[in-house]
Amino acid sequence: MMPGTQYERDRCVTGIKGLDEILRGGIPYGSTVLVAGTCGSGKTTMCMEFLVKGAQEGEACAHFSATEPSVKLLENVRQFDFFDMRLVDQGLISVFDMDVLFSWLGMTKSTFDLTDIDAMVKAITDIVNTIGVTRLVIDSVTTLCYKIPSEQLIRDFLFKLGKSLSTLGCTSLLVSEITSAGAKSFWSSFGVEEAILDGIVVLGDVERMGHLLRFVQVVKMRGTSHSRAKYALELTPRGVMLTPMLKWGGAND
Amino acid sequence: MIELDGGIAQQLTDEITPSSSIQVRVGTSNASLIIASILQPLIQGFGMRGVYICASRGASEIIQTLEQIGIDSSGIQFIDTVSSGFIGGTETPYPNIRYVDSPIMLESIMLQTLYHLESNTETGNFVLLDSANALSIYNEERMLAEYLHTFVNTFRARDVLTAIVNVPDQTPPSVLANLDLYCSDLIDRGQVVIN
Repeated sequence: MMPGTQYERDRCVTGIKGLDEILRGGIPYGSTVLVAGTCGSGKTTMCMEFLVKGAQEGEACAHFSATEPSVKLLENVRQFDFFDMRLVDQGLISVFDMDVLFSWLGMTKSTFDLTDIDAMVKAITDIVNTIGVTRLVIDSVTTLCYKIPSEQLIRDFLFKLGKSLSTLGCTSLLVSEITSAGAKSFWSSFGVEEAILDGIVVLGDVERMGHLLRFVQVVKMRGTSHSRAKYALELTPRGVMLTPMLKWGGAND
Repeated sequence: MIELDGGIAQQLTDEITPSSSIQVRVGTSNASLIIASILQPLIQGFGMRGVYICASRGASEIIQTLEQIGIDSSGIQFIDTVSSGFIGGTETPYPNIRYVDSPIMLESIMLQTLYHLESNTETGNFVLLDSANALSIYNEERMLAEYLHTFVNTFRARDVLTAIVNVPDQTPPSVLANLDLYCSDLIDRGQVVIN
């Protein structure tokens, strides 16, 4: 196909400096992307910036918090200049506690079965549909998956969730907590998430002479060409900033 | 009264553009004077603002030296890779200093610099790196050469003037050779060392 006639999918412009360039314009609309990262690598900040940039453009955004109470989450992100609490007050960013959602749904068991999973997917998609959410973050999907006893059920859950959100035109980031982000690592805690979802963005640290440098790497993104290189990541008051990682800088993988 | 090197101001006036990349060769004893002789025309003559990356000496010491010479450094953002909060070197009265943990965090230095340059869109910007030889103490030669290559091209693409200070006989030969290749201009005040 000639370059001039190449089909291009519409993009959800993340607004995150550098990431849209890596993705050649943004995430294809309606994609469900795994944001996998080690602790302290910047997953939550990057995902919140994704929502803020959407809300600033008038998009309805939703954050489902499974690892920490929403009040604590908002207190943590208020330190960043890019975050504007008015976006929450105006309802452009809706923040939900998964624990509260589970209580509403009567899901008090320590493990979830297929019925619970269906109820959870329906609750999330109902919210997305009702509010008209176009950007969604679940932080973290790992915490939810811990309650799902088998890989098959985790696969079902993610497949149904991704399909429902995609059908609604919602671009979603599912945060995954991993213990290592090297080349020999899994991109997810359960080993099944990466196969089902449309994209994988990995965040981690490179150790250089005792110092940890944050990096981000887009490993997979269906529907677009993209850079697969590592980029150094800095969390600044204005949000995430990226620059190419030095090739001779060493990597711990 | 300290007399600055007027030849540098003249050279800057005659030769540089907003995206020039200048290799500045200095000696061990004249570095401060040469740097001041560059900053003075950039700030007071051309009305530029900029970022000063400190790898040779701490930012507070540099600010005090510039004050003694009569250069107002309030329009400069200093990125200090030398001083350590751990030993109390970061307790200073100057608000225009940011600290990076170590001179090996080259990407962090780059991103901090870009972050501060974004704050000033009204006037021309410069970035002064002091110095390539100090960075070479901590960083492997190939990595430093790669970094300086990225450094020059990143800022040139943004119409930011760069000045890379080095003491030639303390800088790895491959880094010096690369600077000769990347940089568009040369201010040569390096001392000749006779063994």
